[in-house]
Amino acid sequence: MAFLIRRGSKKYPYITARVRAMKSKLLPREVYPKLMNMDIPEITRLIGESEYKQDVDELAQKYSGLDLLEHALNQNLARTYRKLLRVSQDEPNYLITEYLRHWDIWNIKTILRGKNYGAPAQEILDAVVAAGQLGYRELTSIANMESIDDIKTALGNTPYYAAIANYDGGELSAIENELDKIYYSRLLASIGKSKGEKLSLKYIKTEIDLKNIKTLFRTKKAGLVKDDIFELLIPGGMELKSGDLKRMSSLPWSDFLKGLEDYSYWSEISEVVSEDMTSLMDVEALLDKYAMGYASRISHYYPLSILPIYDYMLRKNNEINNIRTIVRGKKVKLPDEIIRKHLVM
Amino acid sequence: MVDINLVEAGIEQILANQAGLIAIGAGLAVGLTGIASALAEKDIGAAAVGAMAEREELFGKGLILTVIPETIVIFGFVIAFMLFGIIPVL
Repeated sequence: MAFLIRRGSKKYPYITARVRAMKSKLLPREVYPKLMNMDIPEITRLIGESEYKQDVDELAQKYSGLDLLEHALNQNLARTYRKLLRVSQDEPNYLITEYLRHWDIWNIKTILRGKNYGAPAQEILDAVVAAGQLGYRELTSIANMESIDDIKTALGNTPYYAAIANYDGGELSAIENELDKIYYSRLLASIGKSKGEKLSLKYIKTEIDLKNIKTLFRTKKAGLVKDDIFELLIPGGMELKSGDLKRMSSLPWSDFLKGLEDYSYWSEISEVVSEDMTSLMDVEALLDKYAMGYASRISHYYPLSILPIYDYMLRKNNEINNIRTIVRGKKVKLPDEIIRKHLVM
Repeated sequence: MVDINLVEAGIEQILANQAGLIAIGAGLAVGLTGIASALAEKDIGAAAVGAMAEREELFGKGLILTVIPETIVIFGFVIAFMLFGIIPVL
């Protein structure tokens, strides 16, 4: 019962219409080739005249060049996600909150990694995106803490405490894994049983599958042993169930690629996968592209559900990643061809 | 012998009852369709305001789409009007 009260009623018409209007303001696909032909100051200017105006203006006093763009993008992402939380009510609000915990996890990982390598607080804060439940002020105070114990105490009341309770400095991968698992198990539990929500569940499960496939590719390529790989995978996927994950993690590279053919994702990546592939960039870009296409496809099945909102959040994040890829690539003078391969459109 | 006055009174009563039932029907026609339009407009209105909050130029379209379910209540009104036409004059 408490669960029902927390979710409240279904107030989708307002938020979905608003999100669709917001989606129409994202950068159109044609802009990216244009951005590729520009220098960084030109890109900053173009971005500063678009939806990012407020962020670029605000930060222009403190930063310049690439830093300015980088910070404006981060701030805009956080601002957009916070806006979604602000303008939604009841059930959509609850589901968006759960989805955005992704950024809490991201921030906690960033802070712990930074602390691990002794990075200064300011540098850590440059990389956080305050889009989740932990606001920028809380994150600042956490990033300024010296000892791991203080950080643990500060996160004592959050659901993430369970993952970091036993952390005492050192190797982070286990903690990061645990955080991911907490995130996805909460997300899966948050979604109810109605028709539209069943589709949302399918979407989240597909997202888990794609994440698992990426992890499998990376760990196989790095030559990790079976048990270590299985530890890194997230249970609860759509096609790759626990048994499949166990089997896949034990297969050697060539059999693993063959094993992938049994799943529907294979048709998406079959073109670029080969036994002697050296870079995973193409596979990951294709999987991201598939996730985006899938989200936008199912967002039309049940317009009055959380799906159009997931679709928008994914697209916004992708837009920011694309702009960042272009400017970073330009900065280190990568050839256009490689930058283009990294873009997900 | 049948009392002619009594019969007339009876007929009048029946006519009055019929008129009353027709009037109730007309009332239901307007009332129920009003509720139906309200239910339909609730979501459309909310969506229109949501879209307008992001893009002001959608005001015109939003307004038109919001009042489209108003046709339901117009049908109800027409039916009510036709029903009123057949109420026997007392």
